[in-house]
Amino acid sequence: MSRERLIHGVMASAGAAVGTAVRAFDPLFISFDYKIHPEQAAIEVQRFGSSVEQSREQLKRMQAQLKRRSGAESSFLIDAHLLILQDRLFVDRIVSKIEADHINAEWAIQQISDELFQAYDRLDDEYLRERRGDLEDIVRRLLHNLSSKKTPGPKKRPYDAILVGKAIPPSTLFELRAQRVVGLVTETGSPLSHTAIMARSLEIPAVMGAHDLSSISSGELVIVDGNRGIVICSPSDETLLEYKTRSNDEKKSKKKPLPASSPSVTEDNVRIMLGANINFSEEVTSVVANGCESIGLYRTEFDFFREGGQPDEESLVADYSLVLKAARGAPVTFRTIDVGIDQKAWDGVNTNLGVRGLRFCLENRDIFKRQLRALYRSSVHGPMRILLPFVSTVDELETAHEILADVRAELAERQEPHNPSLHIGVMIETPAAASTCDIMAPLVDFFCLGTNDLIQYYLVVDRSDRTVMHLYNPFHPAILRCLHQVHTLLQPTGKSMTVCGEMAADPPSAAVLLGLGFTSLSVSLAAYPKIKRMIHSVSMSRLRGLAGEILKMHKHQEVEEMVRKALDLAPARH
Amino acid sequence: MKQREVVIGHRLGLHARVAAKLVQLSTKFKSNIVLFRAEGTAAVEADARSILSILFLSAGYGSKLGVRAEGEDEQQALDSICDYLAAD
Repeated sequence: MSRERLIHGVMASAGAAVGTAVRAFDPLFISFDYKIHPEQAAIEVQRFGSSVEQSREQLKRMQAQLKRRSGAESSFLIDAHLLILQDRLFVDRIVSKIEADHINAEWAIQQISDELFQAYDRLDDEYLRERRGDLEDIVRRLLHNLSSKKTPGPKKRPYDAILVGKAIPPSTLFELRAQRVVGLVTETGSPLSHTAIMARSLEIPAVMGAHDLSSISSGELVIVDGNRGIVICSPSDETLLEYKTRSNDEKKSKKKPLPASSPSVTEDNVRIMLGANINFSEEVTSVVANGCESIGLYRTEFDFFREGGQPDEESLVADYSLVLKAARGAPVTFRTIDVGIDQKAWDGVNTNLGVRGLRFCLENRDIFKRQLRALYRSSVHGPMRILLPFVSTVDELETAHEILADVRAELAERQEPHNPSLHIGVMIETPAAASTCDIMAPLVDFFCLGTNDLIQYYLVVDRSDRTVMHLYNPFHPAILRCLHQVHTLLQPTGKSMTVCGEMAADPPSAAVLLGLGFTSLSVSLAAYPKIKRMIHSVSMSRLRGLAGEILKMHKHQEVEEMVRKALDLAPARH
Repeated sequence: MKQREVVIGHRLGLHARVAAKLVQLSTKFKSNIVLFRAEGTAAVEADARSILSILFLSAGYGSKLGVRAEGEDEQQALDSICDYLAAD
């Protein structure tokens, strides 16, 4: 039994979870541990054997083609793969593992290759360390070949799983929910990455930016503490007990109802609109059950790409109608898909200065139109607004309006019932949109502010890059001025503005937003109670005064300190 | 059982291509062939028929390895493996 080890990372999703580590060197090939009947072990060995054989044949074919095209020069690379497939250190140990532990072939492959990956990582020679790519390639091939012949019969997962990997895309996390994934640890990513947003939305504790995960083996018991940003590997009995007690307490406190579903008003009776952000249609029910007055942001891309492929118009209509019916009259703001089609581009792992949001939709009009048709067709089932993400020019907005008009005309011609006067809004999340929002206003019915991206682009801080993450700060004077400017530009237009980034979900920065005049916020369900409590405890006139003070300040530390003091909060840790 | 020491002559050490050839060469003999590190604390042995164990030996250019062969063709095996390893 190994000793308790501590790995530090950053908090990405609150809560703590205990489970066995499941390593994911490739998010598309994640193996889980199934306990099988001892008599079934022979079948699993056979499954493994035929997957090895199939892989060997594939590689041989590849090698033959390679030899015809380019001579023998590059075919030695395939030799290495073929030799691993007959290596007793690999193959024989996997077979003994299946036989000894009565587990499925995939899990045996995962555990043995984990050990071998660790051996690679320990090598001094950088070139040799890089050779782990050969083994990764083989493992992927084996798992792929196994996936067409699943383990027969009922399967039992004995433990909850903690996913451990370099990067896990949000879609993978979502799909694995059903596999008893209770926690997440990644090397890359940050609290603002889409995977983190997803984890919070699924209430899966997560720690990101954790270095040196190579010491964690599949099957090892680990605790993910998303409240403290740490991972405890092979915890001692005492540590385990401490966490088990704590998680019971948390479950109890979760059952406490939200502050009454009465409207959110400040101490001095200013009405604040407080909506909920959702990523999945299933969340609507709990949002409504908790008395949230509106769904201020529904990020539709997660559901859109949920099945991996692309949904057709009819299934989108069905989904969106269901969302509106479940909302029971609460208005829902549907944000059109904000992605590049490449999943990697929407994991928040890159800087995203390229094609995303509305840019993507304008380049992929068939997808955009399909979603818009579905939205309009569903709109008869409840109050709906359409929000366009990542807008940076008036031209884009005009083009979007032409497309919207086309869609309406098409539906009218098809005699599809729809609401032709849906409100169309713009998400202010690029510096360009922030400084020209008044120019956009005549073309727009409402505005939302996506502060996560706005801060990232305004401060030139890649929110997934841990080397610059400390520079990401909502209290930066540049951000305060930017928000103040947006509010000043938009107020005379009378268009509504809702802030729906993380800035609205943390009481101190949310208080700043109120002070700056933003009286409509939308936050995740997890943050809803604390923001509601904050609103009830503050006086708007005092916050306005506070905003005047902080706008004169030079440093974010001063700003944050003053705000926390005003809210009676403990000073921030830096 | 026969054994001998050999100095790696390949400029890049026992890298993928060399290791692959070594495995292919070893499988031609009936004897069991083992490589081992003579120096250092990380005393490791490698089965000459296992490409992974050879890679994990991490034997660079000029490093000294022991080679041990046991079986009916041990002399032949030892000679041919050592010749291969010492060549550049």
